[in-house]
Amino acid sequence: MNTQNPTLNKAQIAQLEKAQSLTQIVYNQFKEHKAAVIGAYVILLFIIVAVSAPLIEKVTGLDADSQNVFNRYRPPMTRVKAGTDVRETAIQRFIDQNPEEVIIIQNQLISQKLVSPIRPEDALYDWAQLDKNKALDAVKLIDTTKKSDLRQIANRFESFHILGTDELGRDVMMRLIYGTRVSMGVGILVALASALIGLFIGALAGFYGGWVDTILMRITDALLSLPLMPVLIVVAAIDLQKLPFLNQIISTGNESIFKLVFILCIFSWMSVARLVRGSILSLREREFILASRTLGATDYTLITRHMFPNVLAPMLVSVTLGVGESILFEAALSFLGLGVQPPTPSWGNMLFNAQELIYQAPFLAVVPGLLILFVTISFNYLGDGLQDAIDPKAMRR
Amino acid sequence: MLTFILRRFFQTIVVIVILSYVCFGLMNLMPGDPVELMISANPRITQEDVTRLREFYGLDQPVYKRYFAWVSDISTGDLGYSRTYRIPVTEMMLPALLATFILSMASLIFSLIVAIPLGILCALKPNSKVDYAVNLFSFAGISVPSFWLGIVLIIIFAVNLGWLPAGGYQTTGMQYSSWFAEMMDKGKYLILPMVSLSIQSIGRFSRFTRSAMLEAMRNDFIRTAKAKGLSNQVVIWKHGFRNALIPLITIIAISFSSIFSGALITETLFAYPGVGRLIYSSIIGNDFNVAMVSFVISVSMVLLMSLVSDILYGVVDPRISYK
Repeated sequence: MNTQNPTLNKAQIAQLEKAQSLTQIVYNQFKEHKAAVIGAYVILLFIIVAVSAPLIEKVTGLDADSQNVFNRYRPPMTRVKAGTDVRETAIQRFIDQNPEEVIIIQNQLISQKLVSPIRPEDALYDWAQLDKNKALDAVKLIDTTKKSDLRQIANRFESFHILGTDELGRDVMMRLIYGTRVSMGVGILVALASALIGLFIGALAGFYGGWVDTILMRITDALLSLPLMPVLIVVAAIDLQKLPFLNQIISTGNESIFKLVFILCIFSWMSVARLVRGSILSLREREFILASRTLGATDYTLITRHMFPNVLAPMLVSVTLGVGESILFEAALSFLGLGVQPPTPSWGNMLFNAQELIYQAPFLAVVPGLLILFVTISFNYLGDGLQDAIDPKAMRR
Repeated sequence: MLTFILRRFFQTIVVIVILSYVCFGLMNLMPGDPVELMISANPRITQEDVTRLREFYGLDQPVYKRYFAWVSDISTGDLGYSRTYRIPVTEMMLPALLATFILSMASLIFSLIVAIPLGILCALKPNSKVDYAVNLFSFAGISVPSFWLGIVLIIIFAVNLGWLPAGGYQTTGMQYSSWFAEMMDKGKYLILPMVSLSIQSIGRFSRFTRSAMLEAMRNDFIRTAKAKGLSNQVVIWKHGFRNALIPLITIIAISFSSIFSGALITETLFAYPGVGRLIYSSIIGNDFNVAMVSFVISVSMVLLMSLVSDILYGVVDPRISYK
């Protein structure tokens, strides 16, 4: 070896000769799949954006729900002036919160001739009608302890919309960011929950065999053979309020999201169950299971301690691919108006709104779909990369 | 073989029966009560009338009794009436089923025509630039939401370019002079839904063709055929592709139900009067009888088609043993 690679020093040779752990091999293998690595970074980016949505809201001063009907369908990169009502509400709230300070501010505003109201009480309201920059200049000149509050109010007089506004004048970017939360949250939650269900059912079927296996696998096959979309639509159209026992459990706020997660879980555990059953069927015959059984291990210990670690790796692939699929199903159901209900934004129901507006605002219909495409393709590549990485046949040491 | 067919057939029937029963029960849980809808237009109706109406339509009976009554009606060929359109469901079902069949088959054939050459191209030059490009394309195809692709296609081809109609089935009020004119007109309406429905199957099929073809080209008889001096074309098509075809048939059999799933969304988006749109619009419009019948019949069709292709699979590949 030294003769072939004279550049290698002792440390590098030691590095080469050291045994690699399994995780290291898998990691190195994974790194070679460029698309999967890119996919992982894209997913990470989206997760960071989704988690920090409230922070972004604070920094930009935009929120996902405030409407502005005078500024609908604004193209990307436009500045929009806030309506009179929005400004006056902000001032009203400010006055209610600091009644004493307001009088000082009003007097200063009038004495410095920044505004000339008919009645002195209206000074702040007149200030609110100024442009953003003029209002900020005025704040600089007056002397008060509430300067930062006023500046904050003035900043809201004008908003900058990177991706424009939608049919109700809401900021598209903020809605997409909050939609990321909902869509990815639903996708990941469904994939994890259905993996748990599949793990449980597959383990039962594979470990006990016999009639348990027959019944569970018949159910699995039956569900797998169904065309999912019509079935999902029928189930999603149910009014949960009509089920008396569920009525108390469900709170009204995010009911549609939980309902959606629940429905998607019912119909997406089958592939994991078959995978787990297959692995456990073959694991059951292995010597180490026989050994621990001889040592007196219970069925529970056998399954959870000795079999689950062995099925985790293939399950990871299945879960990753499941996230992409769940995001697509969530989007499809929301697109049909049966998934996440507005005003909660999700990528699917943003498309639902936008499909009627393709003449006025085609842009609105394009962006949410692009995000769905990016995220799903990333999850699919990630799953593909993981599959290659953990596949012992493809392993290179 | 016969026992296998009988068992599979029996299983399919059981699934259909259970599914229709569950679906029948679920329809009761949907918002909007049929009697309430009936009386909403009539303010002078009394409580006695409501009870009488409920009795008349059998709505006071438990679910299983109503289910059996419904099934016995259906088995005599009486599919009931649509509450919204006031016409027999049979009249709505047949054209809808035909339209969906045309759309699904067109999409299946189109995706095979596109996907198989792509897959073979990749398999012949693995890890080349073409292979990576097609791989990216297939991944995009699997990941793209078909309804969004539909919207984008409408924006490009119907709104901006104006080449193709944005939705529908045929030009309204059109009198066809010949069957050819009819086909051309309907075909124009079929293109966009077909493409947006096919993109997912194209992705799946081309990846599958690639792996099946790679597997087939690794066989010893391929080497022998090449050594005999056969031309490349003969080796690829006669020896390689024929063997790759067998796994391909399985994936086609499985894809019936996913194509039908996709057809539902595509039909809704393009206002294409197929059975998927019928299911969706009748559920949204509280037309429960239509929803039930169209759902059960179309799902049964899909299951039976999968059953048939399962059996055909055994005929094509004699190595498959039925147990």
